Amino acid sequence: MLEIRNVHKSFGDNEILKGVDLKVEKGDIIVILGPSGSGKTTLLRCINFLERAEKGTMDFDDIHTEFKTASRHQINAIRKRTGFVFQNYNLFANKTALQNVTEGLTVARKVPKQEADARAREALDRVGLSDRYDYYPSQLSGGQQQRVGIARAIAVNPEVILFDEPTSALDPELVGEVLNVMKALARDGATMIVVTHEMGFAQDVASRVVFMSEGTVVEQGAPKEIFRAPKDPRTAQFLRRILRDDYEYSI
Amino acid sequence: MRPFHPSYIITALGQIIPFLWVTLATMAGTVFFGSLAGLMLARAKVRRRPLSRALANVYIYMTRCIPSIVLLFIIYYGLPELLLAFGININGFDKAFFVITTFSVLFAANMAEVFRSAYEAIDPGQREAALSAGLSEWEAFFRILLPQCVTVALPNFANALVNLMKEGSLAYTIGMVDVMGKGQLMIGMNNGSYSLEIYLALAILYWALTIVLEKGFGYVEKRLSSGKRTAAA
Ligand SMILES: Nc1ncnc2c1ncn2[C@@H]1O[C@H](COP(=O)(O)OP(=O)(O)OP(=O)(O)O)[C@@H](O)[C@H]1O
Ligand SMILES: [Mg+2]
Repeated sequence: MLEIRNVHKSFGDNEILKGVDLKVEKGDIIVILGPSGSGKTTLLRCINFLERAEKGTMDFDDIHTEFKTASRHQINAIRKRTGFVFQNYNLFANKTALQNVTEGLTVARKVPKQEADARAREALDRVGLSDRYDYYPSQLSGGQQQRVGIARAIAVNPEVILFDEPTSALDPELVGEVLNVMKALARDGATMIVVTHEMGFAQDVASRVVFMSEGTVVEQGAPKEIFRAPKDPRTAQFLRRILRDDYEYSI
Repeated sequence: MRPFHPSYIITALGQIIPFLWVTLATMAGTVFFGSLAGLMLARAKVRRRPLSRALANVYIYMTRCIPSIVLLFIIYYGLPELLLAFGININGFDKAFFVITTFSVLFAANMAEVFRSAYEAIDPGQREAALSAGLSEWEAFFRILLPQCVTVALPNFANALVNLMKEGSLAYTIGMVDVMGKGQLMIGMNNGSYSLEIYLALAILYWALTIVLEKGFGYVEKRLSSGKRTAAA
């Protein structure tokens, strides 16, 4: 469904992505792991054209394009088929929860207001915010804001949803509510690419774990394979460190 | 010296108030052209194109260092000469034209800073969220960013407006008859008598205008931010 090949992206002289390949089938839950600075965020942003990669190709269903030369029209088509959930939520501060969700429907997709409202309410219900339609972002907790962010992403029925560390800005006691929403989405068959440091989520939900280091995909496979028997020493080292931290954190 | 006649303040007000529209109309014209130019300057400053950005900075710096009365005379005497060199004759133009031009030039520099700081106060993440929701750059700007910029910019805008009103009183120096100009004319016709009463009348008028402006903006500000903060936390 979505395949990207040989993605290169530099900031100045600094090459951040050094030829990344990734293939996503319908219903896949891809979890991307990797140390800080390995280019995970940059990869998601390139897929959504929030950054312009200078090399590489993308096949998204019938759309075939080069990152470098993608037209405005193609970019718009790709954005309309994807949802993006940001680390810092990035909710529209001047809009209510409901309006945050309808914006992409009424403005970008010309869905009539009544239908958009109904779909937005449905999306907010799915993330457990039936009682917060008319709240402004500043009136919501971090976990609630992120769930609005997720509702905004799913309301447009995207073919794939990109999550960039959706829980890392949250207080620990609010992480669970967001992860539960994401697990429910996964169960309902959503296609997701998730950058996260939540190892439990990766182990339980991922259909494939992708490990990135220094701008390349080092290895990928089923969570069991990656967590039990990582082939690459960099993966092993990363997992050792992060699982130990998790362990220490939990006591 | 003549005795002070408080009642003449009322008389003076009665004669000055009919010229209030001149003051307000030049302010409105200045705000319109100055804000438009300010918006372009601010845009040049936030987009990181080196040349247009440097030009905007030079403009803002130069206009900030020049007293408005100096610029007013430079434009009043200089602009017709300059345009004449291009075969355009503006010698017959209304004084208001030169006043609005001068104060637009200055107001634009102020507005550029007001708009720029308002724009930079908005997290760029919202723009990206709007784009990835499928909105175009224009839609993201006009529906998401601009309304928030307006809220942020409003107090500074109100300040700039009050400043403009006060500086605008210098327009009488080139002979424009707004409230200040009318006051000056009255003083001249009375050979300088009643000047204190007339200046007091002007003070009252400017004071009332300021109150109206500030209350008006305070009300709009409250309307814009209602709902967003009140029930927070
Ligand atoms: N706009 C930018 N300009 C310059 N450098 C950037 C920019 N965005 C990212 N980088 C650099 O690219 C590198 C990779 O960043 P990226 O955010 O993709 O890493 P990440 O894997 O998401 O890390 P983390 O786990 O900390 O979120 C970093 O070294 C970062 O400094
Ligand atoms: Mg990141």
